[in-house]
Amino acid sequence: MSSEVILRVVDVWKWFGKVLALREVNMDVYRGELLVLLGPSGSGKSTLLRIIGGLEYPSRGKVYMDGEDITFYPPYKRDTCMVFQSLALFPHMTVYDNVAYGLKIRKVPKSEIDKRVDAVLDMLRIKELKNRKVTQLSGGQRQRVAIARALILNPKVLLLDEPLGALDLKLRKELHVELKNLHKEVGNTWIFVTHDQEEALTLADRIGIMNNGRLEQIGDKWDIYEKPSSKFVADFIGETNLISGKVKSFINRDIAVVDWKGLEIYATTVEGIDKNNDIFISIRPENISISKERPSGTDGLNILTAEIIDEIFKGSYVTYYVKLSNKEIIRVAVLSKDADFEVGDHVYVYWLYNKGVVLRE
Amino acid sequence: MKNQKLLRELISNLPAIGYIFILFYIPIFILLIISFTVPRKYIVEWKFTLDNYINVFTNPDYYKILINTFWIVTVATIFLIIIGYPIAYYLARINIGIGDKLLLFTIIPVEINYLIRIYAWRVILGENGLLNSLLIALGVIEKPLTIFFYSWIAVVIVLIHEWLPYVVVPFYVNLRGIPNEVYEAAMDLGASKFQVFRTITLPLSKPGILSVIFMIYIPTLGEFAIPALVGGQTGVMLGNLIDRYLSQFNIAIGATLSFFLLLFSIIISLIMIRIFGYEALYAR
Repeated sequence: MSSEVILRVVDVWKWFGKVLALREVNMDVYRGELLVLLGPSGSGKSTLLRIIGGLEYPSRGKVYMDGEDITFYPPYKRDTCMVFQSLALFPHMTVYDNVAYGLKIRKVPKSEIDKRVDAVLDMLRIKELKNRKVTQLSGGQRQRVAIARALILNPKVLLLDEPLGALDLKLRKELHVELKNLHKEVGNTWIFVTHDQEEALTLADRIGIMNNGRLEQIGDKWDIYEKPSSKFVADFIGETNLISGKVKSFINRDIAVVDWKGLEIYATTVEGIDKNNDIFISIRPENISISKERPSGTDGLNILTAEIIDEIFKGSYVTYYVKLSNKEIIRVAVLSKDADFEVGDHVYVYWLYNKGVVLRE
Repeated sequence: MKNQKLLRELISNLPAIGYIFILFYIPIFILLIISFTVPRKYIVEWKFTLDNYINVFTNPDYYKILINTFWIVTVATIFLIIIGYPIAYYLARINIGIGDKLLLFTIIPVEINYLIRIYAWRVILGENGLLNSLLIALGVIEKPLTIFFYSWIAVVIVLIHEWLPYVVVPFYVNLRGIPNEVYEAAMDLGASKFQVFRTITLPLSKPGILSVIFMIYIPTLGEFAIPALVGGQTGVMLGNLIDRYLSQFNIAIGATLSFFLLLFSIIISLIMIRIFGYEALYAR
């Protein structure tokens, strides 16, 4: 991955009749990265992918690849390849014919086609399926054929539209690792669309969160997780406690003091938040600590008394539901090996101010 | 235990099997027996002979009409596909709600009585018919043309009109079955619109085309009403001949000719199954 922009989406809007599918989307994609577009269904992520692939044209805005305006190029004239949600394999062809299709259309000599098909089938570990009809394959095998068919053309940008959607969870997880390795091996730019946040976090270098036709936030996956820019992003990626409160004052400009139903909470703030604003604070359950003794106070440490009212064992960690003195309930995640608390225990929960992120309404 | 199950299955399928046997196979079998009797008017004389078959298979006149029958049906089928396929293709590529509704418009004319439609063509194609009057009025021709009426061309035209909906519907169903993403994938992999059609659409509609040939070609070989009403000298089909013998109550010869036609239909069916398999027959 480099800092060189390979694909640039500038102010793209898309209407389908009266329905606004995309609004004001601006996005830079870097050469060699694996960008995941994440959002609920109907958020416009597939539409954006189809616009990049040339299967739809935007109502407004431009798409540039390597500086060239490709907005209205037909799909066969742009250096992108799509792996479809339905896979869209050609049912009347064998695996070989499916994978070789793009090269045959380009009139590449047969000997070279054979070589490249073998190489890509080898890479996806489906060489033995070469002469099978695609209608005789299992879901995971079809998946690999679809990816091979697109990869063989070595496109500058590979577009993947929820390609794992139809597979069961175990197979998906296997393919996640494999896809990530494949991306490293091939080295071209991938844009992957999904509604599954776990899939996004596993695969992505960077994540773009889409909601309601808007690209809400795009950035490094750690940044998105740690510093979500909106309530939607905080809620959509991972688990979080969303606290609604009112800003009372500021300390050193970057710490907001927030009134949360009678409790005073310190949280790191962002620009444009003023006193008396109604805001949300997002705190990840795993960023909250819990103990039976009162922790020694440091600057900016939120320390609250609480009672454990419920626990949910999730394997490697335990989620405690704790009730605070203001009657509000928050979730705290603790590693199973440290989880020696019981329902009914009176405890202290605490977190440093910078673990809580202030979000606009 | 196993026999019991078999018996149960047999009993539950008895109505269907009985229906097919009593109403199709037994009459055909009776006809087969009659075709081996000595031809007598009005009655069936139960004296058996092979003369009918020897006569039919050695008389070149019957072959002429057989060839004429195949010619007319072949030309009609080719035109049916050429005309029907683009209609179905267009309907299949537009919005499914609109496509389904428009398809209804191609089916509705079938509801009008078959004979009325043939007579309508007599009015259009006749010597003083609509077509000739129009051409004369436009100054294209001076005297009415006779090739359109009472000729094999008229039979082809009316056959096309008669069968078009039966071509469009299976094509439509077949083409609708190809998901849009398959076309998009081909384009995405570099195919132009024409290449998509040649490498994706056409091969995927092969089963549809074959089933249309099967479902239209074979039954149309037995057509007799259309050639009788608009066929004239050049449009005679084997069905007319059978009709003529039967209306003269020469049942034995009529039956023989029926089996003569059936034999060729079966041969064609077997050849098609041999080449394309049963999948093609049922458009799977």
